[in-house]
Amino acid sequence: MGKLSSRNMGLVVMSVVLLAVSLVMLAPFLIMVLTSFKTMGEIQSPTFSLFPKVWHFDNYAEALSRGDWLKYFYNSFVVTIITVVVSLVLNSMAGYSFARLKFPGRDILFFSVLIGIMVPAQTTMIPTFLMMKQFPLAGGNNLFGQDGIGFINSYTGLILPFIAGSFGIFLCRQFFLNFPRALDEASQIDGASKFRVFYQIYLPLSKPILATLAIFKTTSAWNDYMWPLIMTNTEGMRTVQLGLTIFRGETNVEWNLLMAATTLVVLPLVVLFLAAQKYFVQGIVTTGLKA
Amino acid sequence: MKPTLSRSVETDGKTRSKQRLSIDYVGYAMIAPGYLIYFLFIFIPLIVGVYYSFTNYNFYSTPEFIGLQNYARLLQDALFGKAMYNTFIYALFTIVPQLFLGLILAVLLNGKLFGRVFSRASIYIPNVTSMVAVSMIWLWIYDPALGILNRMIKVFGIDPIQWLYNPNTAMMAVVIMSIWKSLGYTMIVYLAGLQSIPSSLYEAAHMDGASKIRQFFSITIPMLKPTTFFILVMSCINSFMVFEQVNIMTAGGPLNSTTTVVHQIYLRGFQDFQMGYASAMAIVLFLITLVITLINFKYGNQGDDLDVD
Repeated sequence: MGKLSSRNMGLVVMSVVLLAVSLVMLAPFLIMVLTSFKTMGEIQSPTFSLFPKVWHFDNYAEALSRGDWLKYFYNSFVVTIITVVVSLVLNSMAGYSFARLKFPGRDILFFSVLIGIMVPAQTTMIPTFLMMKQFPLAGGNNLFGQDGIGFINSYTGLILPFIAGSFGIFLCRQFFLNFPRALDEASQIDGASKFRVFYQIYLPLSKPILATLAIFKTTSAWNDYMWPLIMTNTEGMRTVQLGLTIFRGETNVEWNLLMAATTLVVLPLVVLFLAAQKYFVQGIVTTGLKA
Repeated sequence: MKPTLSRSVETDGKTRSKQRLSIDYVGYAMIAPGYLIYFLFIFIPLIVGVYYSFTNYNFYSTPEFIGLQNYARLLQDALFGKAMYNTFIYALFTIVPQLFLGLILAVLLNGKLFGRVFSRASIYIPNVTSMVAVSMIWLWIYDPALGILNRMIKVFGIDPIQWLYNPNTAMMAVVIMSIWKSLGYTMIVYLAGLQSIPSSLYEAAHMDGASKIRQFFSITIPMLKPTTFFILVMSCINSFMVFEQVNIMTAGGPLNSTTTVVHQIYLRGFQDFQMGYASAMAIVLFLITLVITLINFKYGNQGDDLDVD
């Protein structure tokens, strides 16, 4: 009995430790939310309290009026949604082909895709930027990519480089490799074309991997900072992540407003995470790559 | 995109017993869009980037081939050396605590503790949110006059610290924030590693009378070796990509104490428009990640093989 209760004591102590760690991890977010409801007067006062004396919900409206936030959110949503949808289609189609179909040159093509896994986005960023700028016939460019702005300041420029790539193709291929051969043979005998086999049999069975890829793409598109920073230079094309940096530029940062805007930018992903935790974790565990 | 695109062998399928010789030409059509994007926006830029790294290119003129001059300049560039050093320091000081803390948290969360679902979510949430957002939050925490960190240490009678504005503390401040941000990732990967250890090992050890501590050092740690190696490799690669927190929180300062490799690429490429020189830096970055990845291929797989036995 004594042994059992000391074991229980150990569990209680460890639970308390874990709970304390959780609170420390959440603390920055709590500080963010609590600050977002304070007035600047309260923030600057020498006496400090964690909770706001009066909750100022209008900070949020005020924060959104600093900059064209409706537009930033719209831009981020457009870029994220198109990136996710198109990348699911292209990556799963290519992944299926590499895993299930036979044609000359397939392995060489796949090997060249694998090379891409080792290439950091930061390495290709300068040439990709220049290509976007000098894309023939885009954004007022002539046939040789001169005279215009190409895909700078356009959704195309923000989306195009991310709709397919080594990672997504590889992920889908590995998934489709695990399907039994009998599946193809049975449908073939029924006279279905390869493409039909793909979208009527394989796709419905690949929801887990598509969900994982969708989560991964949503997170990276919504959270991206560097590419929009390089690709856009007008107010109207800013995304939410760039929008946050407006406040930073001010000499006297209005922390309450900055924290309100930050809360709004963080919120969609936190909600998504709480709703689809399983797929976030799966994404990390099955792929490990590029988190 | 229509089934009619398929020129494969449905009709022959029934007569021919083996279809091994048939070629699915539709495969080309299905790979084409994804492959084209990959080819245009990853493969070609990599080749072009290598070419630019041998040129003097200021964005407005045409690239002029100058051989290895950019690389020679890199070797003498004190600022780039500083960026390399900072990146290395950043990697060292984020990875080691992350491995340590991530393992401990994963072991705790692997047990049947109260509130572990809540804990797992709380620890992982920083990893979900954007680096820009968390940089803003930590700027506020580190704010010298009003931030909560200096308000807290004041209680203990410590004078306010200029966390991000002092060359001696700035990198450590960035490091602490980054550990907080990515700890959840390490924890989740370790948790997956822990769950793949067969419970029979622990049962056998328990029968032999091994204590929990002994089991941890004799079973858990050795069995997690491939996981640890994997996290180490991934974190190393990620460390070399550090940019956002640095650009937002410190802009590389004070006195370049936090500038990193990617931050230098960004400054040289997109502020000074020295595209050729910045490309040389980008290629160096690529070579570093390539070496780390190859080490992973060589030793990472071996670790897995050993594990199966």
